[in-house]
Parts: sequence; structure tokens; C-alpha cells
Amino acid sequence: MKVLLIEDDVKTTAYVKRGLEEHGHVVDTAPNGRDGLFLAAGETYDVMIVDRMLPGLDGLGIVKTVRAAGVTTPVLFLTTMGGIEDRVEGLEVGDDYLVKPFAFAELLARINALARRPPIAQVLTILRVADLEMDLIGRKVRRAGREIDLQPREFRLLEYLMRNAGRVVTRTMLLERVWEFHFEPRTNIVETHISRLRAKIDRGFDAELLETVRGSGYLLRAPA
Amino acid sequence: MPSSWKPCAAQDICFVPLPRIVRTASFRLSALYALLFGGCVLLLGAAAFWSTRSALEQQLSRRIEAEQALLEQEFRHNGIDGLVATVQQRTRVRGNLDYFVLDPAGKRLAGDLPGNPDRLGWVELPSGPDAGGDENSENETVHVLVKPLDGGYRLGVGEDIEQVGELEETFLGILASALGLVLVLGVGGGLLLSAAFLRRVDRITRTADAIIGGDLSRRIERTGSGDDFDHLSATLNAMLDRIAGLMENLRQVSNDIAHDLRTPLSRLRQDLEEAQKRDLDAADLKSVIESAVAEADVLLETFSALLRIAQIEAGTRRSAFRGVDLSDVLRTVAEAYAPAIEESGRALRVEIADGVRLSGDRGLLSQLFANLVENTLHHTPPGSTITLRLARQPACAVAEVADNGAGIPADERVKVLRRFYRLERSRTTPGSGLGLSTVAAIVELHHAAIELLDNEPGLRVVIRFPA
Repeated sequence: MKVLLIEDDVKTTAYVKRGLEEHGHVVDTAPNGRDGLFLAAGETYDVMIVDRMLPGLDGLGIVKTVRAAGVTTPVLFLTTMGGIEDRVEGLEVGDDYLVKPFAFAELLARINALARRPPIAQVLTILRVADLEMDLIGRKVRRAGREIDLQPREFRLLEYLMRNAGRVVTRTMLLERVWEFHFEPRTNIVETHISRLRAKIDRGFDAELLETVRGSGYLLRAPA
Repeated sequence: MPSSWKPCAAQDICFVPLPRIVRTASFRLSALYALLFGGCVLLLGAAAFWSTRSALEQQLSRRIEAEQALLEQEFRHNGIDGLVATVQQRTRVRGNLDYFVLDPAGKRLAGDLPGNPDRLGWVELPSGPDAGGDENSENETVHVLVKPLDGGYRLGVGEDIEQVGELEETFLGILASALGLVLVLGVGGGLLLSAAFLRRVDRITRTADAIIGGDLSRRIERTGSGDDFDHLSATLNAMLDRIAGLMENLRQVSNDIAHDLRTPLSRLRQDLEEAQKRDLDAADLKSVIESAVAEADVLLETFSALLRIAQIEAGTRRSAFRGVDLSDVLRTVAEAYAPAIEESGRALRVEIADGVRLSGDRGLLSQLFANLVENTLHHTPPGSTITLRLARQPACAVAEVADNGAGIPADERVKVLRRFYRLERSRTTPGSGLGLSTVAAIVELHHAAIELLDNEPGLRVVIRFPA
């Protein structure tokens, strides 16, 4: 995957670049808005990571300019911590945001989710992972033909996991997407919900679909 | 006027140079007032002068006309000889009116008025040297009424208008001195007033200067008179107290931050030192680094919470307020925490009214109730019941998070809303000590009111949102 990183902090740039390259991605970096704009307009990227606080041109402005030029590459904004206001703006202009300082696993999970996000035009009505099947219109879940009874929030949780099947989703991503919680709870609420969901979709079946990735998050995938 | 004004001899420092006095608003006002008042006095004086003068002249004319009539009567009864005798007799008495009796040829038969006027009626004649016998009266004019008598005689009766002139002079003199007095009093009073005014302004300025200079404990002296200045001083003092309170608060918070960050920082340092040792195997190293990362996360969480509170308190979020279904927010929170609460051996009761809506920030409202639920989860013993309630009342929506745990002593219930405040028994439980301050900030942002009540036993947190 080809990633453009627009970030002025040398240390953060090196950290992100090295990490992404270790995971087999190609990373171009730009230390300021001008270079970033130049690269974004000239090359094709799968994901852009843009710092909101840049010398000269604000990250938001860069993305607006790029979008105005017809580039639809998904954008992940990096915002300063506590910048809750940035969140709204970031999601209006970009596709996701991440508060600095962040864990690398979080960044990786998010850009993976962004890059493979299906085009909006493609409306899915049935999601499938191995023998697990979700009917988005009938709001029904079946595994190996057996109907599984889920509460609305569990349905939403599973839907998000299934849409991102094969990719790690982090706790924070789940909190944001499933509960709309944009803060860090001190209680392991995600873990408790996952374990309940796991009990419903995995218990009594031969293969476990929902994995816990230590230090990162969760992964729903068909067994190899 | 002296070049400098010393309004208070007892106080040696308030030596105010004149130009400054002249520049004060109160002085300018009093000067203007004196000028206006002087103008009025002048106008009034002029009116009085003119009316008095015309009244006097009228009185004089009437007296002359009456005398004329009397003498004419004498002439009709006793002829010219009788008239001459009467006039001669009257002329001898000084201070009386002036007369002349002229024969048809113009020769004076009696009286002391000189001249031979060529017309009848009212005439002005110069008074002769013998007229009135007054040496100074040479240049003065006499107001004379000349009337013809039978046989070609003429009778003139007049009065020296010098009297009126004298009166005029006296009157003008009085008017001028009154005017002078008014101006002097006005300007002097203005100066005195401004000096008093300046003295009090200076007192405030001196206090402000002292405060700028670093003596933050200084306050403006009050006279206790209850006047405008006293009120102003009281208000400024109250403002200074408020600022001092805020600064004290800020100082306290900085101290608390320093204190609360020292523990995770020193643990982080210990972990890093441990990691530096050469004889650690890979597994140990990994666990030490994990511990260091965890400490760093605690630090970051504290900072993040502080910044968040500051941002919420700044109130700019209000512009992002939207219609929020509070019932749904509470239900989501209840649902999110239900498994965790149950697994911890506690019970959750939910009594949420449907369709309670308000204008607010959904994300922050979620955090508000999540924080309150987490608090009960961390500060109640297992087996407790946690209750989440939402009810609609006529003027407000009332949300409630209650438990039947140990509760908070009455005197500490307000303090727990402060930053970093922790009950003695909670010192050892993890947490930034910022959860309830965040709650308080979010409540404030939504113009709601928070109350910590005794649930007998336990704690009942009641939040009233305005409808």
C-alpha cells in the first residue's frame, strides 16, 4: 500500500515511516503543506496521513485543496490531544482522525480500515465471513445455518467487525463506531461486550472466528 | 490661582499640579456650570436693571405731573403772583423739585431752572450752576415738563435725573460684584470638588499601581460613606478578590498536577532504569517496557483529561450543540456498561423515560454519564446496586446516577468536583482524580445543575438539565 505522510515533526515522521515500512507499505513523506500538496497532486496514494498542525498551511486546508482538485484518497488526520473540536472538522473533511500521541497499532489498524473501505456506491445487503452470515436488511445473523439472536448493539458491533473482516480493529475504533464514545473509559467495556458476542457467535462451532490480537485489538476472519 | 493645588495639607503625597486639576472632568463641569450661572446672573441683573429704571422714571414723571397740576391750580386761584410766590417758596427748600415760571417774553419770574425751552411738553434741560446748588451737577440734565398757562406764561417742573443715574451705578456695581463672586465661587468650588475627586481617584490608582507592582494583597481603602466611590471601591475589591481566588485555584491546580504527575513519572523512570540493565532477558525487558508504556499512558491520560476540561470550560463547544436524545444517550451508556457491571458482581437498574431531548453535545453527554457510572463502579463494594434514572419534569430533565455504596461525607461532596480531589480512602484506587471535574465542566457547559446527595446509604448524583 502506498501512503503519503504529511507531518512536520521529524521524530514522528521517522517512527511512522519505519513502522509502516516494516508492515510492507511504501511511505512518502512531506515536512510541510506545500510539499505535501505537490506530492498529493502528482502521485496516487492509497491513504494520506495529515497532521492538523503544520507550519504555514493547516492540514485541514491541504486536504480541502486536494479534494477540490478531485483527489478522493482517504485521509486520516492526526490531531493534538484534547483537541475535541478538531474531531468534528476532521471527520467532515477527512475520513478518520487519530489523537496524538497514538499507539502504532492504532494507526496501522485505522489506515488499513481506510484503504480498503469499499466504495460508497457499493451497497452491501449481506455480509459473509466463513459460515457466518449477516442480513443487513432483515437484521438477522446466522452461523452454519443456525440463527443467532443478537441485541441491537451487539449487531452493530458484529457488523463493524464483519465489514472489517481480516483486519485488526482496535478498542478505540470500536468505542467510536459502535457506541459513539470519543473518550477512554477506565472500564473494560469493549472486552466484556466482545466476550459476550464471542459466546454467541463462536461457542458451539468448530472454528473460532473472532480473535483477540494482543496489544492491538480484535480480528474477525475466516480460519485459515 | 497658585500654580499647584494642595487639597489636603495632612497628606503630603497628594500634591496635584494645577494643569491636572484643570483637566479633570469635574473641574470642567464646574467651570462650565459657573459660566452658565454667571450668564444667568447677568441676564437677571439686566432685566432687574431695566425694569427698575423704567419704574423709577415713571415714578418721577408722575411726581412732576402731580406737582404741575397742583401749581396750575394755584395759578387759576391766585394768578401769576400767587404762583410766583409758591414757586419761590418751594425753590428755597432744598432737595425739592426744580421749577421755572416764564413770562410771555421768556424771562424767568421764579424758580431755579435755567433756560428757555422752545417747545412744550417733556424736555431735557441742562441744570444750571444755581440749580440745586450742587457743584457736581453742572453737567447733569434735568427732566422737565413744560406747560403753557393763560396769558402766555409757561410753567416748568423738573427733576434732576442724576438720582436715577446714581441708582444705576450702584445697581451695576452690585451686579458686577455678584457676578465676580459667582465666578470665583464656581471656579473655586470646582477646584475643591475636583481636588476631592482626584484624591479618591488617586487612592484607587495608587492601589492599582501597588498591585501591578506585585503586592496582590492590596485593596482599595473604603470611606464607608456608601457613595459612588465607595461602591466602586467595593466592586473593584470584590473583583480583585475573585482574581486572587482564581489565581490561588490555579496555583493549587498546578501544585496538584505536579504532585499527581510525579508518581507516574518516577515509576516511568524506574522502569527505564530497569530496562537499561544489561542482564535482563528478552521476556523481562518486554514486561519492563510494557510497564513503562503503561505509566506513560497514565501521564498522557491525565494531560488529556486536563486539556479536555480546559476546552470544555472555555465554552466554545456550545456552538456545536445539536438536538440530542438524552434517553438514548443514557440507554447507550447503560447498555455499554451493563456487562462490566454484572461481571463485577454489582447490579444495574435502569429507569429511563423515553424521548427526553435537549440541545447539547452528544459525545460529552455520553462521557458525563459514563464517568458517573465508572465512579460508582470503582467506589462501591461488589454486591451494590447502581441505578440510572432519567425523568422529565415540567421545567427540566432530571438524570440521576445512584448507588448504595459507602457514599461521600456531606462536607466533602462539593470538594470531589474539584480537580485532583480524592477522598482519603480512594487515594489508592487508580484514576486521574479528574473524572468528576470533567463531569462538572460538562454540566456547566450545558447550563445544567449538579447535586451530590445522600442516597441513604450511598451517593445520589442528580443533574438537572434546563428544558
